[in-house]
Amino acid sequence: MTDLLPVTALGDSAPRSETFGPLSLSENAGLALASLALRRGQAAPAPFGLALPDVARAVTSGALGAFWTGRGQWMIEAGGKAESDFAAALEAEAPGCSVTEQTDGFVAFEVVSEAGAARLEALMSKLVNIDPKTLGPGCCTRTGLEHMTVFLVRRSETRLAVIGMRSLAGSLWHALSQAARRLEN
Amino acid sequence: MTFSGFKVIKEALTGYKGWGPLWRNPVPKPSYDIVIIGGGGHGLATAYYLAKRYGQANVAVLEKGWIGSGNAGRNTTIIRSNYLLPGNQPFYELSMKLWETLEQDTNFNSMVSQRGIINLIHSDGQRDAYRRRGNSMMISGAGARLLGRDELRQMVPFLNFDNARFPIKGGLMQERAGTARHDGVVWGYARGADRRGVDIIQNCEVTGFRIENGAVQGVETTRGFIGAGKVGVSVAGSSGRVMGYAGRRLPIESHALQAFVSEGLKPVIPGVITFGAGHFYVSQSDKGGLVFGGDIDGYNSYAQRGGLPVIEDVLEGGMALMPMIGRARLLRAWGGLVDMSMDGSPIIDRTDIAGLYFNGAWNYGGFKATPAAGLTFAHLLATDTPHETATAFRFDRFNRGYVIDEKGVGAQPNLH
Amino acid sequence: MLIPHPLLGLRDAQEFTYLGDASLLNRPDPATPGAEAAFCDYVFLRDNPAGVHRELWFHEQGDRSWLVVTRNTLTHEILSAELASDVKAGAAQ
Repeated sequence: MTDLLPVTALGDSAPRSETFGPLSLSENAGLALASLALRRGQAAPAPFGLALPDVARAVTSGALGAFWTGRGQWMIEAGGKAESDFAAALEAEAPGCSVTEQTDGFVAFEVVSEAGAARLEALMSKLVNIDPKTLGPGCCTRTGLEHMTVFLVRRSETRLAVIGMRSLAGSLWHALSQAARRLEN
Repeated sequence: MTFSGFKVIKEALTGYKGWGPLWRNPVPKPSYDIVIIGGGGHGLATAYYLAKRYGQANVAVLEKGWIGSGNAGRNTTIIRSNYLLPGNQPFYELSMKLWETLEQDTNFNSMVSQRGIINLIHSDGQRDAYRRRGNSMMISGAGARLLGRDELRQMVPFLNFDNARFPIKGGLMQERAGTARHDGVVWGYARGADRRGVDIIQNCEVTGFRIENGAVQGVETTRGFIGAGKVGVSVAGSSGRVMGYAGRRLPIESHALQAFVSEGLKPVIPGVITFGAGHFYVSQSDKGGLVFGGDIDGYNSYAQRGGLPVIEDVLEGGMALMPMIGRARLLRAWGGLVDMSMDGSPIIDRTDIAGLYFNGAWNYGGFKATPAAGLTFAHLLATDTPHETATAFRFDRFNRGYVIDEKGVGAQPNLH
Repeated sequence: MLIPHPLLGLRDAQEFTYLGDASLLNRPDPATPGAEAAFCDYVFLRDNPAGVHRELWFHEQGDRSWLVVTRNTLTHEILSAELASDVKAGAAQ
């Protein structure tokens, strides 16, 4: 039988990571994603004990997290669970809600600054038309980045997750790494 | 005053003292047989053909600003007849034939230049579509030639043939297509109409219609009431606004369309080239500027200006197609208003108000249609029957189900 | 152009796609007499004012909400933006 080798969204055998001065960019290949949407009139559940956040906010609890994607809609994340059937686990936690597997549709890149929030916000201002002041820690939004749609989740002052379409992973990495490299010079 | 080579030389040697105004500046009469609203290319061409071919000289053209100050002065001057559908193609081919004899007909140099148009092919499916379109063009007599990649590379070697995402595989060429000098077209028709007795009345904005018992009696204007036996509305871009004075909703939205010109460069682009994988087209003016454009801005507008996102989009298309354009500097960018219709095709028809006629919904393509729109609208105004090449351009084609949708996107004007 | 999204604040108009005249929210009832003519008007005719215009925008690169935006087509000034679902719910009451 043919040997099948798992590859990441960027086509590599291991997640890619690169450093640009104080900014580092890494592929978070282990991140599992599943979307959760309420049916009409349904109350919000608390899957895995997560209090589902309000508009444009994100919450975390250990390796688990949730961020708002629309009215009555959230994306639930679980670090290191990409290999598991995370949607099924979520569905058990949110009976009656609409849950859809999303891991294979997206790629997640984590940007970390070793030089404080300013450097991270400088990168954002190069790439997206979102005022960094409105995207502080615990905030999230969806916007366009070089014509690609991305979720931005500000995990902390110095850490930003950029979650984009998996089929455009190469283009997204190119956009992020080019901008980071230019900041370095 | 007739133009001739002899006259040009004589004037050059005698200090140009013999040139007079090309048209009068008359005071509006109380009434006319026919009043045309809109002194653009279409309105003036309509008046010209009414006077010349249909013996109707008691005609006024009313213009809000100065003639040719709207879309006639804002387009990218391309003339072509490379359409697909039976409702469209014979009409545009009539227009092409009129372009070919325009300068002799009007005795005016409109700088018609048949330098050809090439629609680029980037995929096998697109080649099939263009082959079909080429056949449709040949049936109407427009002529068409399918170009292979090697032949095309010889003609336009500067294109990005080996672009990884949009490789250029060939092109569909109409050799008779080309460009014309937009102002020269307006002035030629204006002069020709004026010489045959048509009153061209500028700075005269129509502010309403006088309609009695379902029949139009004339128009209210900033220069007073002007009576009319028939009124022809020819104001594409502002059709919604003007027909709104008559209380009519139209299958039209007004949108802003931008155009661009670079600094003057040495001759490099032989004709008109259109990108087949994005919305970008380019030609080179006689002054050397690259004239190019792309998509409409996409939301209703009467502002005659557009926004930066579309400028970025157009220039990205340009860079993908011909990277050398990145070395040219942009000289000017401007916007005009276009009537975007529900099927992307025009309307030349009577309205439900007796004596009120409509010519509009020209989408991206009003300039190339100028001679035929003028002739067929004149035919309709003079004879009350549609011209044989314009029978499909009716208001009722939408509820009858006979839309002429070249692009096939349905009743979504900003996608045509 | 920046659109004041009711939930998300000022957002770049590039994140949105445009549908047009907000009267498209008022779909005719197919069961009423004259529905065919009403549907023709609904599908093909538009208000196209030079001035204040109510229109539908979709926040495609955002929260995927439909907005009813009130905008001046002569100046491009945006006067207000509401969630279309709220407008629809308000009209139904």
